[in-house]
Amino acid sequence: MREFLDMGGYAAFVWPAYAVTFAVIGLNIFWARRALAHARRSALRRLESGNAPP
Amino acid sequence: MNFTWFHRLGSPPYTYALARRLTPWFAWPAALLILAGLWGGLVLAPPDYQQGDGFRIIYVHAPSAWMSLMVYTSMAVAAAVGLIWRIKVAHAAAASCAPIGASFTVAALVTGSLWGQPMWGTYWQWDPRLTSELVLLFLYLGYMGLRAGIEDTQRADRASALLAVVGVVNVPIIHYSVTWWNSLHQAPSVMRLAKPTMAASMLVPLLMMLLGFTSLFAALLLVRLRAEILTRERTSSWIREALSA
Repeated sequence: MREFLDMGGYAAFVWPAYAVTFAVIGLNIFWARRALAHARRSALRRLESGNAPP
Repeated sequence: MNFTWFHRLGSPPYTYALARRLTPWFAWPAALLILAGLWGGLVLAPPDYQQGDGFRIIYVHAPSAWMSLMVYTSMAVAAAVGLIWRIKVAHAAAASCAPIGASFTVAALVTGSLWGQPMWGTYWQWDPRLTSELVLLFLYLGYMGLRAGIEDTQRADRASALLAVVGVVNVPIIHYSVTWWNSLHQAPSVMRLAKPTMAASMLVPLLMMLLGFTSLFAALLLVRLRAEILTRERTSSWIREALSA
């Protein structure tokens, strides 16, 4: 396990690279879902206020 | 040939419903492929004979770089379709691509520089490949900035689509930069016409990651596209149905 984490001495480069990439993946999932939730909420508000333009 | 499928895609309610149905068919394969690729790349693949375990950065760097180019190309194609046939859904798709592509371009640049330090002895070099990839990031940011700066959606669509289409010349420049100029960056070992130059034990996890990231892009795009369509569509009848379903 220790050997695995050490990455043959490249740990300081390999793990940050993986961390950055998976942070980008996580953020993308979070942003996309947030955008959809936000769009749904404002569409519902428009419908309820009854002034949805034709 | 029958093009009714193309016309149907231009209809927001149809595309909204289709995007919703299709999302899990891309999201789950993406998750499985990326997990399998991680296992294969970090555990099963042997260390490289020159770069040791440092080469394992390839399993996040190459897919991120692939995303940066593939997403840009998709964005430019969608923008061109929107410009030529004046299809709103196509413009919505192009707009949905930009933040995804920009973030993976950042990932490609950061992981690349983390790979460059131990192997080349530098985090950054004004090298053709690195510089053209940085230009790609600025194209994405310019596209997003332009959209954010124009209030009228139709005008924003047209202006940003033009930028996306013109900027696509950068894509082949990035890809061929390593063969056209003397670059620190290695030549392609997978994305080439001839056979890949990697051992199968190293190549298979990489292909899984590439496929997994591509599938992830499709899932993200479908979710973002639904958000874009909802924001743009003002006809209440189908939205009421879509939101209650």
